[in-house]
Amino acid sequence: MEKKLSKKSLLKSFHNWYYGHLTCFSQEHMQTFGYLCAMLPLVEELYDDEDKKAEAMNTYTAFFNTEPQLGTVVVGITAGLEEARANGEDGVDDETINGLRAGLMGPVAGIGDSLVVGTVIPILLGIALGMSGGGSPLGAIFYIIAWNLFAYFGMKFLYFKGYQLGGKAVEVLVGPQGEAIRESVSMLGGMVIGAVAATWVNVTTSFTLYNEAGEAYLVLQDKLNEVLPGSLTAAFVILCWYLMSKKKMSPIKVMLLLVVIAFVGVLVGFFNPGLSY
Amino acid sequence: MTISWLQAALLGLFACLSSMPGLGGSSIGNYTLGRPLIGGLVCGIILGDIQTGILVGCAMQVIYIALVTPGGTVSADVRAVSYIGIPLAMVALGSYGLDAASTEGTALASSFGAMVGTVGTVLFYGTATINLVWQHIGWKAVEKRDYKKLYLVDMGLPWISHLICSFIPTMIMCKLGANVVELIKTTLPMDGIAMKTLFTVGSLLPCVGIAILLKQIVKKATDFVPFFFGFVFAASLGVNLVGATIIAAMFAIMNYKIKMLAIAKPAAAAAYDDDEEEI
Repeated sequence: MEKKLSKKSLLKSFHNWYYGHLTCFSQEHMQTFGYLCAMLPLVEELYDDEDKKAEAMNTYTAFFNTEPQLGTVVVGITAGLEEARANGEDGVDDETINGLRAGLMGPVAGIGDSLVVGTVIPILLGIALGMSGGGSPLGAIFYIIAWNLFAYFGMKFLYFKGYQLGGKAVEVLVGPQGEAIRESVSMLGGMVIGAVAATWVNVTTSFTLYNEAGEAYLVLQDKLNEVLPGSLTAAFVILCWYLMSKKKMSPIKVMLLLVVIAFVGVLVGFFNPGLSY
Repeated sequence: MTISWLQAALLGLFACLSSMPGLGGSSIGNYTLGRPLIGGLVCGIILGDIQTGILVGCAMQVIYIALVTPGGTVSADVRAVSYIGIPLAMVALGSYGLDAASTEGTALASSFGAMVGTVGTVLFYGTATINLVWQHIGWKAVEKRDYKKLYLVDMGLPWISHLICSFIPTMIMCKLGANVVELIKTTLPMDGIAMKTLFTVGSLLPCVGIAILLKQIVKKATDFVPFFFGFVFAASLGVNLVGATIIAAMFAIMNYKIKMLAIAKPAAAAAYDDDEEEI
């Protein structure tokens, strides 16, 4: 008889992932335990035999880490594949499932980080910040509702879409169409991140030269604004990108370097946040 | 403003829920409760001053608007920013006699956020390290085929990690906050080098978050063009985020259509060749 996963187990699996994907995070195994918990209800329903159960669970002990919101689609896909394996479908084994998981982690993380964390969250927060001017709780409440509806229903949609499409979803994600989607999303993400940087990041200099009469004849910030408003912000972003991308520095090291730059900048009068009591 | 033990404990509980490998789950925990804007609301409710809480939260949110944690690399810890930084900044504002809505108030809040967030990464690595112990128990359970235990490992035992790395540090820092703020105030005057540096770092730090995102996207020099395109829209033309997203979506769709056309073309050409042969 053809085995079919019940809606109940699928929902349980989804909820286990939705809640538990990062609760037991470590640098070594990252989301592996969340994945095991998500697969457990499915494996228990599909197999009665203890050895088969163990074989299936062992598949998911392999390392897993990706952007968790979009990564839900991978869990959905493996739910579909596990069902196929339980039905003895040809060519679905440990290797196919883990090859697919390993192959999807990177691309999904790339799309997810730029789409979810780089685009959706900053936009929602941007709107919320606008609504919270003057200390109104309205913006915070808006963000709580909007983001959680988006995250819950978006992830649920991805999970069940992945389950239905199974292996076919892989083609969409890593095939030529996936490549086209990824490139377009990166483009969208790039533009939005640019707008986020220009709107919310504000690096300014207080460097000014005075003539003998005490009048400022060079206000560097004004000159820079004539070239491109926010050019100093852009310059610092690119510096950080260069250090991390080309010099392979860790974010923490870059931050420490920024502390040094800030300290020297303050000493020579390049930076002055203009504080007073 | 003083913080009672009960208030400090509540803040500690929220710190457990909201951190990066947090117990609220990443959607509700990290991405909702952990965002400083939401943290501002929660701290405001707990400390009984919602308006100040939100204002401080807004100031800190700006710094961490593009906070990503790619591959588990954490550059700032949200539990520390939202549930240690915000309460301390609220206490500090009262102590300095500053208005939260003023420029100085915002700057003070930002500097607290930057300082606490960076120091707080220690808490993140601490939690992740203690979790290794539970995972060890988990592997034993898998070997013994005691799968039910996985739930305990994934969702139960990490509470202990958080008790040590979230609850206790947050509670103590918040309770002793007033004294700490007083100490900072006397040893580091606002117009001194240390404070100026701290505030400047606060304005430079978001660049790292943005750069981490760019690292994912930019592979060659021309990939910078979309970034600057969006930048110029906001900086020079004053388009807001929603507007910029709509414009960006238009370009993304155009790019997608062109790419799909390029994929479809060789196939169509091949089909055309087949027709030729048949004739």
